[in-house]
Parts: sequence; C-alpha cells; structure tokens
Amino acid sequence: MRALLLLPLLLLLAAPALADDDDAAALLLADKTSTTAEQSSDWRTYIEAAARESRRQGGGPALHGARLSLDARFDKGFAPGWRAVFADRLDLNRIDGASGNQDVNTLKEAYLSWQLQPDRVADLGRINARNGVALGYNPTDYFRAGALRSIVSLDPASLRENRLGSAMLRGQTLWTSGSLTALYSPALADKPSDSVFSPDLGATNRRARWQLAVSEKLSAALNPQWLVSGGAGQSPQLGLNLTALPNDATVVYLEWSGGRARSLAAQALANRDDSEFRSRMSAGLTYTTANNVSLTAEYQHNGAGLDQAGWDALRRGPPSAYGAYRALVANLQDPPTRDQVFLYAVWQDALVKRLDLTAMVRYDGADHSRLQWLEARYHWSRVDIALQTQLNSGQPGSNFGALPERRIWQALARYFF
Amino acid sequence: MNLRVCFEMRGYPPKGLSRLPSSGTEEAGSRDSGRLPSYSPRLAVAKFILQRLLQYLIAGALLIASAPGAGAAPSAQAILAASDTIRNPDKPFALTVTLVEYRNSKQVDSNTLTVYSKADANSGQFRSLIRFVAPARDANKLMLKNGNDLWFFDPSSKASIRLSPQQRLLGQAANGDVVTVNLAKDYQAQIAAEESVLDGDRQNRRCYKLALAAVSADVTYHHIEMWLDAGNSRPVKARFYTESGQLLKSAYYRRYQPQLGVERPTETVIIDGLDPNWVTVMRFSDYAWREVPEVWLQRDYLPRFKPE
Repeated sequence: MRALLLLPLLLLLAAPALADDDDAAALLLADKTSTTAEQSSDWRTYIEAAARESRRQGGGPALHGARLSLDARFDKGFAPGWRAVFADRLDLNRIDGASGNQDVNTLKEAYLSWQLQPDRVADLGRINARNGVALGYNPTDYFRAGALRSIVSLDPASLRENRLGSAMLRGQTLWTSGSLTALYSPALADKPSDSVFSPDLGATNRRARWQLAVSEKLSAALNPQWLVSGGAGQSPQLGLNLTALPNDATVVYLEWSGGRARSLAAQALANRDDSEFRSRMSAGLTYTTANNVSLTAEYQHNGAGLDQAGWDALRRGPPSAYGAYRALVANLQDPPTRDQVFLYAVWQDALVKRLDLTAMVRYDGADHSRLQWLEARYHWSRVDIALQTQLNSGQPGSNFGALPERRIWQALARYFF
Repeated sequence: MNLRVCFEMRGYPPKGLSRLPSSGTEEAGSRDSGRLPSYSPRLAVAKFILQRLLQYLIAGALLIASAPGAGAAPSAQAILAASDTIRNPDKPFALTVTLVEYRNSKQVDSNTLTVYSKADANSGQFRSLIRFVAPARDANKLMLKNGNDLWFFDPSSKASIRLSPQQRLLGQAANGDVVTVNLAKDYQAQIAAEESVLDGDRQNRRCYKLALAAVSADVTYHHIEMWLDAGNSRPVKARFYTESGQLLKSAYYRRYQPQLGVERPTETVIIDGLDPNWVTVMRFSDYAWREVPEVWLQRDYLPRFKPE
C-alpha cells in the first residue's frame, strides 16, 4: 500500500531525469552531425518516367501509355542588374492506339531581366505572367488562355508549372508596401502549332494584350492586388486578389474578375454578340490542422459559362456545337458551367516521414459530375516516386462524365540532378 | 554592463571608508564648543580630503541607487534583450542554415536555406526572406516571413501562396522561429531562479532562469522558460510551451563562435516536446552583413529575388 502511495512521487521525481536523458541523447546526436552547407545552383533539372493505365467511359479494354520527361529551369544573374531565365520541358509520350508523333516540347520561359535599381525592373521575352490567389480556378490569370500545351496531370500545381509563358515586355516599379506592373504582349503568330519543338507563339500570342497590376499593403493582414487587363477584340477586365488571415490556422481568399464580355457560348458558336458585364470569381479558405493537413474548399463562379438550362440544351444539341464549346473552355481554362466546387487536401508527412498525400475533388453544380484525383508521393533528397489515380464520373456529356477516360492510374519516378 | 554595476553595488561601502568619522558632525561640534582644532595642519588637510572624498562617494552611491532597477536583481527584460542581440545581429544580415532532422536517432531529412533578415524599425521584429538551397526538389523556392504574414513562392509555377503560421510547407524551416525572433519585444520576462545548468556543450553554467509570458496573442508560444548565462546573457537553453502548458519544443544554443563581431551560437539543437526522439540540428554558417532593401520584404518582390 505504501509502495502504491509512493509511486506517483517516484514518477514525478523521475520526469526531469527522463527529460535530461532525452536532452543528453539529442545533444549526442548533434555532436555526431557532420554537415557541409550545400551551395545554391542556377539550375533545377529533373527527369521523370511515368507509366499509365486507363479505361474508357463505358468500359472496354485497358489502355496503356508511357512517358519520359526532361524538365529544366535555369535562372542566373550574369552581370550586375542582369538576369537570364530559361525553362523548358520535353515530354516523350507513347500511348496505346495513338498514331503519329505524340512528343511535345514546351518552351515555358525564356527572358532577360534588367534591374535598373532595386525598385525598377524590366523584362523582355517569353514570361509566365501568372496572377491569382485561388487554388483551383484563377479568373485573374489573364494569360492562361492557350498556355497548356502538354497536360501530364490535372493537379493544379502541375497545370500551373507546365505551361507556356507569353512573349511580352514587362516593367515593374516597387515601393515598400506595394508595386505597379505594366506589360504588353504583342500579336506574333496566327495559329497554334503542333510541331514538336515549336515555341508555339500562336498559342499564346495570337492577339495583342496588355495588363496593369497594382498592389498596396493596407495593413499587416490585408494586401490586395487590383488588375486591369485588355487587348484586341475584348473590353478591359477588372480584377481583384485578396487574402486575409482570420486566425493562425486559416487563410481566406477572394479572386474576382469582371467586365463586359461575350458569353463563352457566343464565342464558341459564333452566335450574336451578347456582351454584358460578367463576373468570374473564386472564393475559398485553406485550414491547416495541427498535424499539418491543409484543407482547401473553394467555390468557383464563371459568369460567362452556361447556366443549367443552357448546358442541358447544349448537351442535347449537335455534337459539333458541344465539341466546339468544350474545346474553347478547355483552351481558356474556364469551367464550362456557372458554378463549381473545388476541394483540395494535402497531408505532408502522412503517417510516415516523407510521404505526402494529396486529394482533389472538382464538382460541377449544373450536372453533378465529379472529378476525383488522389496522389501518394514519397520522396528522398533527389528522388520522388508517386502513384496517382483519377476517376471521372457523371452522365454522358456532363462536365466530367464526357472526359474520354473514366479511370486513370499513373505511376511515376522523378530524379533531380 | 548593468550586471557588473549591480554586483559592485553589493560591496558598498568599502570597509575601510566605513570606519571614517562622519563628515558634518565633528565640524559642527567643534564650532559649537568654540574650541580650535587640536591637531596639526597636515592632519587637517588630510581629514578635509577624506571628508570630501566620502561626500562624493555617498552622493555617487545615492545617484546610482536612485536609478531604475539598480540595487535590486538585474532587470529580466534587459537580460532578455541582451540575449536577443547575441542570437540576432543588430543590422541586416544573411546567413546559411543547415537543418538536419532525426527520428529515433536516424537522420530522416536535411535542408539548406539562406536567410536574409532585417529588423522592423517599428516593431523590432525580424522580417526574413528565406531561400531554399537544398534538397534539389526545393531549390530556389522562397518564403517571406513578416510576423504572421507568410508567403511562399515557387519560381517554377510563379505561384505566390499565402500561408497560415500553422502551415509548415517545407518541413522544419518553421523552427527558424526559435532562432530569429526578438523575444524581448513579444514577451514579458521575470527572473524565476538563478541556478546552475548543464549547457549544450555539457559545461555547468550559472544561469538566470527567465519565465517569459507572451504580451500578445499572435505569438507562436504562449510562454517560454529560458536559461541565460548570468555572466554574459548568452542564451543557453529554452523550453517553449502552449497555453495549456504542453511542452512544444526544447532548444539548446551552443557552439559559440565569433560571428559578425560577437560570440554567437552557431548551432541550435531542437527537441520536440511530444516526441523527444524527434531532434533537429540547426547549424548557422556564412554570416555576413547584408543590405536588405525594404522593397525586398513584400510579396511582389518574391519573383524578383535573385541574390548574387
């Protein structure tokens, strides 16, 4: 009995000793740590090999494909104030039943930057000028149209990275709480090119465009960005990017773009001019749990897309009109219908160190179709391996049910040089 | 310097002087009695000099005693501020941080970062631009930390993503907050004890144990216990807690070396509070004074950042 009474006291006395033992063991570990600080490199290069299996909507035999990609990015200051940036990706694709050459080279960026002073910069060349604080749909990303040349994954992070920049002249002036950026992107070619090594300026520079962006930090928590963008054959569009931090674990964001514009249906089907003020918007929040799971929920609205009645009518109408509409919205990276929901979750070091799990759901509010995507990625210091699966479900002709493949599996390995 | 003054005050007045006759009474007494001094002129001069000396000493002692905080224990806040300046240079600087992470005594991760830091003129807190150097998959990614305003930039996708303080996008980099933070700005310090502790280099060291309480709600740690060398205010070790008293992490500041004119810790060993087998070793090298223009420290500069 006395021993039982003494036990809590003994445990209490033992606690500091245990902590001291842990501390001593940690210090011993630190003693044995030998490190030499690595030097930064101007290059980031990797090679990626992927194998995929898919099944078409409605069944049928499994289709197989393989891909080998080389991705290189070079960023170097070569003289005081001067910087050269080059980013390129080559995808060598082999797909069951596909005829002809499926290889694609994507010249993502190639530009020179001149920093006259710490707060004045000019750039010239092909630049990936990207706007937007939202995760799944970026209405203010005005240079996204025609930028996707080779899609290797529908993960938004991959779509942002593997795309063409636009040829442009860009100037920026900065002050302590904000900046003003102006850019002009001229028309340089008439039509896109399928040639493997084409810079494909026809995809990104078919018409002249311009953009002004100004941002000003209004408080520690509020740092909005306003944009105006325009170009040949369009009315200027206004844009706004806004983020806030309601608490230590949550970021809320709003991305909005609006202006007079034709509906996407009128553009795709060459219908009468139905220009009016239309808004596009993404609003969402990212909440991070204590064990580092980041959950994002985003509502997306495309005021130029079809409403439910229009979408139903298009699906019942001529296949050529449906095809033309889908091709246009895919090129513009716009949702085809008015309202979408996007969910995204990332769990870093999930259960075991170095294992990252990512899940994504896109839900179409008009036809209730869904795209579900899941990735498990394990990484060492120079090697990533990943397994991805995608399920496109919905009625025939629906947003995601119309995608040719219902289920896709992809395994990949990436080596960083 | 404050410490030295305080310790010297404890010995005042020196014993030799305390036995001298008090200055005013004898003179007044001799005047009252109407008698001439009975000792020689040389002795009188010597006595005059001693009396004046004593007057000056007493006046000086009173002046020092009336200064804030003197005569009592040294100011905890001043000691904490002094330790901040040991961990963090007082001008904009750059350094390389190598983080090595262990789980159950096995190395599981390693990162190298370059940090460019500058204190805010108003808040005194450091704002940092962090550039990832290694591993290769994260090379040249950037993070901007300005208080709780955190932005992550990936040059491959040109995406600037706002992060919440809880979001740890790239592993143990969040541990930077136990290094480049001016604790005296965010915490109220009290001396909890003066005791001998084993420091990170396993030397017994006489320390002040400070209890730090957060003065605002937006700090990462609700309260901190910090041991600072009683002789020179060097940080020795610290324990960081949540509001509920849960230990989040322990840190040992060690391997002091002269860096940018001051002996600074070039290694911090961090032990996770929940899992003591999770250990992170942070090594600091390549210290350099580095101009960090104000325009660098904002989201819009992230795509521009390209140090030589």
